[in-house]
Order: sequence, then C-alpha cells, then structure tokens
Amino acid sequence: MKRAFALCLAALLIGALAWALFAAPPGFLFSPPRLWERPSPPVQERPVVDAGRLHRSALPNGLEVLVLEDRRLPAFAMGVTLKRGAGVESVAQAGLTEFTARLMERGAGERDFRALDAAVSDLGATLSVTAGWDSVAASVSGLSRDHEALLAVLADVVLRPRFARDEASRVRSEQLAGIRKAGDDPNTLVAWSFSETLYPQHRYGLPLAGTLTSVEGFGAQQARDFHGRIATPRAAVLWAVGDLDSAALLPRLREHFGAWSGGPPPPPAADPAPPSQRRIVVVDRPELGQAQLLVGHEGIARADESRLPVQLLNTVLGRAGFSSRLMGRIRADEGLTYSISSRFRQRRAPGPFAVRTFTEVSRVGELLRGLFEELARIRTEPPGAEELGRAKSLRTGAFALGLETSGAVASALVALEIYGLPRDSLDSYRSRLRAVTPEAVAEAARARIHPERAAIVAVGPAERLVPQLEEWGEVEVRQR
Amino acid sequence: MRVQTLRPSRARRAARPLAWRCGAALLLAWLPAVAPAADSAGAAPAGVSDPLEAMQVAQLENGLTVLTLEDHTTPVVSFQIFVDVGSGDEARFTGLAHLFEHMMFRGTKHLEPEEHSRLIEARGGRINAYTSRDLTVYYEDITSEHLPLVISLEAERFANLNISEESLASEREVVISERRWRSEDSPEGRAFETLMALTFFAHPYRIPTVGWLSDLQKVSLAECLEFFRAYYAPGNLVVAIAGDFDTEETLALMRQQFGQLPAAQPSPRNPTEEPQQLGERSATVRMDVQSPLLALAWHAPATGHEDAEALDLLSLALSNGPSSRLYQRLIYGESVALEVSAAYWELRRAGLFYFTVQVRPGEDAARAEALLFEEIERLRRESVSPRELQRAKRAMEVSMVAGQGSAHALASRMGIEWVFFGRVIPLAEKLARYEAVSAEDVQRVAQRYLDPAGRNLVRVLPSNAKSGAGGKGGS
Repeated sequence: MKRAFALCLAALLIGALAWALFAAPPGFLFSPPRLWERPSPPVQERPVVDAGRLHRSALPNGLEVLVLEDRRLPAFAMGVTLKRGAGVESVAQAGLTEFTARLMERGAGERDFRALDAAVSDLGATLSVTAGWDSVAASVSGLSRDHEALLAVLADVVLRPRFARDEASRVRSEQLAGIRKAGDDPNTLVAWSFSETLYPQHRYGLPLAGTLTSVEGFGAQQARDFHGRIATPRAAVLWAVGDLDSAALLPRLREHFGAWSGGPPPPPAADPAPPSQRRIVVVDRPELGQAQLLVGHEGIARADESRLPVQLLNTVLGRAGFSSRLMGRIRADEGLTYSISSRFRQRRAPGPFAVRTFTEVSRVGELLRGLFEELARIRTEPPGAEELGRAKSLRTGAFALGLETSGAVASALVALEIYGLPRDSLDSYRSRLRAVTPEAVAEAARARIHPERAAIVAVGPAERLVPQLEEWGEVEVRQR
Repeated sequence: MRVQTLRPSRARRAARPLAWRCGAALLLAWLPAVAPAADSAGAAPAGVSDPLEAMQVAQLENGLTVLTLEDHTTPVVSFQIFVDVGSGDEARFTGLAHLFEHMMFRGTKHLEPEEHSRLIEARGGRINAYTSRDLTVYYEDITSEHLPLVISLEAERFANLNISEESLASEREVVISERRWRSEDSPEGRAFETLMALTFFAHPYRIPTVGWLSDLQKVSLAECLEFFRAYYAPGNLVVAIAGDFDTEETLALMRQQFGQLPAAQPSPRNPTEEPQQLGERSATVRMDVQSPLLALAWHAPATGHEDAEALDLLSLALSNGPSSRLYQRLIYGESVALEVSAAYWELRRAGLFYFTVQVRPGEDAARAEALLFEEIERLRRESVSPRELQRAKRAMEVSMVAGQGSAHALASRMGIEWVFFGRVIPLAEKLARYEAVSAEDVQRVAQRYLDPAGRNLVRVLPSNAKSGAGGKGGS
C-alpha cells in the first residue's frame, strides 16, 4: 500500500517535472522578460498627412479651401469655420456668438427650421453650428453619397441664415434657461466663478453663453448684424474631409461659395490685464460633500512663441496622467482626490492657466498646501533632462495618437488657419519639441507660474471652507 | 478608472455597453483611420464593408481568448483586456469590481504603484480602465512600436499583482472622491443611482457600479484579493488588439506572457432575476437645483434580443434631433424642457428603456411628465410614420458606418461583442436587421414594453419647492 503510494507520488512528481519542462506555458519556471527594463525601440515618424490626400486652394474672394481625402469608408464631414468668435464680443454683448450660432441652425435660404432639419435628418445626417472663443464652425456630416445635398445645406446656413424673429425669441429663452440651469452643476459653477474672478473687466470673465443680463437684450437683428460682421470669406476656411474626390468637389465648392463677399473681419479684442494680486472666492453651496476647486492666473495666447516650453512645463506639472507631479503627489501618494490636472487655455488672447481638482470639504486646506508647494517647486526645481525627456516622449506619442483619424488632422489644420500659424506646424512639431532645452522650460516656469497671485476659487459649504482658506488671504463669499 | 454610467445627454455613447448601436447623434468628427478599403461590393445598404471581417481569433491553453485585427494604416495600436466581471457580480460588498479595477494600478511584484501607467504615459500612450455592470475593461492606446511593452506590463499585473494595505487605504479615498463627484454632488448622478435602485428591486444591477459609501469605507484587502482570485482567471479574459502590428509575432508574445496564468474554476455568478413589476413606482430626490430633472425607466429585454433593433429605432424617433417627437413637443412646442433623451440600454442579463428630461428652471416638472406620457401613449396608439421610421434607419446607418472610428473603437467592439455573444456581428447583418423593422414592429415594442403600469420615475426637485412631489411607491 505504502509502496504503491510512493510509486504514484514519484510518477506524479516526474510527470509534473516533465510538464513543467516541456509542456508548461513559458514563464512557469522562468519569468518572462520584463520589457520595461529594456530601452524603448526607436519611434517611427511618418508624415502627418500622406502626400496626395491634402488639397489646398483659395477662391478669388479670399476663402481658403482645404480638402483631406480619406476614401476608406463612405462617409464625410464638411464645414466652414469663421475665424472670429466670442472673443470679439463686448462685455455687454456676451453670448451673442452662441446666440447667432444657435439661430443659424434654425432656418436658412428657402427653408425654415423644420424644413432645414428635415433636409438633414431625412439623410440620417447631422448639421451643427458651434460657437467658440475664436471661431464659429458650421458643419454637416453624413454618407458621402449625400454630400451634394448637404453641401447646399451648408452654403445656406453660412451665407443665408434667416434669423426669423420667432426663432430668435425661442433661442433667447432657451439660452437664458440654459444659463440658469448650468449653475446647478458644481463643475460649471466653479469654472464660471473662476473666470469672473480672474477677468473682472474683460470678456473672458463671462461664460461663452453670456449672462442673464446680456442675453436678455438679444433679438434677430443683433444676430443678423453680428453674422454680417464675422461671416466674411476674408476670414474663413472651407474644409472637407472623408470619402470625397477633391477634383470633382472643388468646382462645386466654387459654385456655392464663389460669390460670397465681405469686408475685413472685426479686429481681435485687447488682451486682458493680468491679475495684480491674489483673490480668494468661495461660492456657497452648503449641501456639497466635496469642494470643487480652481487655482490659477493668466496664461498664454495660442500663438505665443513660448508655447512648446510651456506645454512641456505643464505636462510635467499636471497634464501627464500619473506621470505629472500634481497627480503623483495629490492623488497617488495622498489619496486626496480622484482628479487633479493643470491647463493653459490657449486662445487668441492669453486665456487662463488653471489647476482643477476637487476633494472632501474638510481636506481642502491640506490639498491646497500640497498644490502650492508643487507650484513653487516647479519654479525652484524645474524638470531636469530626464523628467523633460519623459515629457517630450509623452507629447510625441500623444501627438501621433491625437492625429489618428483624418477628422482630427483636418481640425488641427483648420486651427492653424484660425490662429494664423505656419501651415507646416504639424509636420515640424516633433522636431521643434525635441529642440526645447531644460533652460527654456525653467525660464517658462519662472515667467508663467506665479503662485503668489494665483486666484483660489472654491464651490462648497462656505462655513467650513472659509476657515481653511484664510491661510492664503482674505476670503470673499458669494451666493450662487 | 471610470465608472461607466448612464448619463442623460444627447450623445449617449457612454450610456450603453453597445455604443455602436445607438450613437445616432454622432458627428463624423472622428473619421475612421483603421479600416480596409471600403469598396467591396454592396455588402450592406451603404455599400460598406466591415473592418472586423479581417479579425482573427486564438485561444491559449489556459482559456484566455485573443482577438486580433491587423491594419497598418496609422502607426497606432489599441490593446484592451475585457474581464468578464462587473458590479452585477457583486454580493456582499458593493463597489468591489470598480475598486478592484483601481487596485490593478497599485503595483506588482516588480513595479511600484502607478508605475505601469507612468511607463505607458512616458511613451505618449493612453492608459485607463472602466467598470460597468457587466464588464471591467483595461486598455492602452499607443504608437505601435510599444505593443510588446504593453503586453509585458499587462501580463505582469495579471500574474504578479502585489497590493498592500497602505495602497488600498489611499485608493479607497480616491474612489470615495470619485463617488462624491459622480454620484452624490451631481443631480444626474443622484437621479441615475436612484432610478436603478428603484427599477431593479432584486437584480444586482440595482447596485451602483461605484458602490455605496459605507461599503467603500469598510471593504478589506482580503476581500479585494478574493475577488481577484474568483474572477480574474484566464477563462474570463478576452484580449482584443487592433491596429498596426504583426499577428504572428504578437500571438507568440501573448502566449509567452499570458500563457503563465493558471487556468481556474468557473467564477461564481449571482442567481437573482428581477421579478415582474406589478405597478408604477416613483421616488423623489431633493437637491439644491433650479432645474428639475426627470429620469424614467421601463424593463426591456437583455442584449441580443430580437426586439432590440425596434427599440433602438423607437428611441431615435422619440428623441434624435429637432424633428423627433419629444424635441418637437417638450422642447420646441411647449418650451417645458431644455433637453430630452430616450434610449434602449441593453445590459447583458436585463435591459432598460429609459428617458431623461431636463426641465426648464421654473417650469413645472409635473407638466413635463404629463407631456412625456402623452407622447409615449400616442406612439403606442399610432406608431411612427414611414418617414420617421426611414429617418431613424438612416441615422442608425450613418452612425454605424462612422462609428468604425479609431483602433480603440474597433478593439472595443471586438471585445464587447465577443464577451456578450461569442462572436462579432457583421455590420451587414446589423444593418439588415434594422432595415427589416416595420412601423408595426415599433408600435408592438412600444405597446409591449412601455406600459404605464411598468414605469419607474425619479424626480430630482429643488429642495425648497413644494409642488410635483411623489412619495416612494411600490409594486
């Protein structure tokens, strides 16, 4: 009995050994190679756009045309991007761009709102007009077999919006209701209060959609006038991307847009004044369990020459997932939040630099101490060669991923036109990035990060927040 | 690191596991970069061939499935691991599937907490994960030369996870912060959490994926490790890889790296099914809001049901674009709402047909409710017009063609369909199923599933308002 048992055991052991040596999956006895301990393979750098797919031209009226062919699926998108947006509104007109964009969707040419929507939705297609700080983009998308009909819709929307009075009063009322509703969301509330705190006199201080006071005065005529000022072929890009034949498309584009005329666009607004001292604002929302926070000051314009050093600086500080200093410390090490990130909002004029996060109400003081230490540290201990190398590698890879689709490439090319940047900016990006020195990043940190005058805006229960914030200065409490 | 939830937005992509099926409001902003030449003859109404026709399937001896789709158009690859476990599998501690997903980033035998993420980020890759009621998904999107690294890092954490009490302590706080942000301080989050608990009396889908606060505070490291042992077995894993790589080389590497995981016993599954609902239910949430929010749900079939396409088209006729019925009535005609959405949400073991209505500030929520019910009843009485049906079908067609987007979108579709159906459903088959739906089918599913007695209604109302309240009812 014992002997039989021992034999069985021996057989089992031999079997197991044989299995481990010959049949077991690799790695059972020997650890698989740890590839992260080896140097990275060289990165291939293909051109951003394959030659022959991108066609550029300009119509005699000045309209720039950009067609990016991608014939792999029978779909397309096409649009006209006007190179002016809410940035040219006065403070009293805040929200007029958004109002005009909404109304452009509500009837154009021979079609009223219902007929215009029917023309698009019968094809399963989409039409949208999007208002931004520096642009208004009208676009259509659908299956390529329908592109002629949708091109006609696009031309109507851009050139011949109806601005009907009854639609204007509806859109106004919806915009006002949307502004009231947006304050229900603590994320929106903190963003609006932050802009207001940072730019008390400038258009950037008010939401893109305007305020209850400014929007109240809008009517069809204001939208018509504003459209008349910004919709000019001298400051617009006509773009198309997808399953389209550029040679066949160009004459059709000329037919629809060749007769468009217009004067010079409105001049860009003056830059906002940078804040001279710190302001601390609490928007009282007593029921919130978690405080929403924004901390920051003025940033840089889109065309700023220090853009790439600033981009790398910000990557290291707060825009690199777990590789960023803020995320590593505040989330990974201290567990104080689910999310913390920093951003330079780049517009025609310098938009804000802001760190955005949230945390349990009682831990706001603790989080801010860590945050301000990191802001100070990026100036005194700017990224060295290794940290900067990782940031460059991150941005290079993210650049390739971000331009994976033709739609993304087209958007990036249109953005260059909006800001008047060199057309080869995408092609030269990686080499320009590589050329940024640690000294340039250190200089960007000194020039662009100013913890001593960074505004602090918090949304949450004022009673519990104010005592934690007084460490940084006098706190102003606002009701929603 | 996300909880996949339903959100009352017009772009409903995040709302549902089978995103390709519904995103009719999608723009074509992300035209596909990973797809074969689209000139194969008339496979579907749009004449579109399916990029996934080229997909290959392999299975390792330990039961792990590997799906590959090789395409060299752009130098990008998406690698995704689908773990067949979600919050619907939780028993004693809620939020465990999602908390554990976070713990998968907290270190291994050879790597510090978050080092995996940092190694990917240092190469410009995107790395993240999400948990739903049915699935936990980990992914990396990265330039193609780094795929071997991704495979090696993923194998490391599945084989050699090493998490500590200390790292659980800080991650617990992170997840509680996520819960407060998504579910507690957000009207939409509160509405959704309440709606699921109201609609599912018994089924574990009632559990919020992010978990209840008290469970998150109490769950132990031992519970986490037991969860890993029970569910993170190779037989529960499907790996989907799409983009620029060599299939042979990649499969060899997968075998070498993932072959080491030992096969395991089948995982435990919750047996509970939802009993029939015998009457309408409602609940009220009071919050500091100006704009009331309504969220409604009816029970509907689980994914893969023959009524699915009719339910999708019904949802589009109700709320897709300005010509849809709910837009025309609640937003445009009566000016009582700011946003309205309707959607069929197909989960794996049950489904919902749900609505959200963002009522205008100052408007009466009860009036919005009444108008919504009127429109639903009108549809049950008269069905949709041929033109409405045609529009819904075209919108579906466009979204399916355009939805073949990036490598990420393709890998996601591969994995989800494989886990749910054991196959990838060809685009032509999907399009044909939608084409076959008649106006009578739409009316039939509306009658069958949207019975007033089967509705569940959550109202989020301003804390100071007195009108429009309803107590919590029951069946």
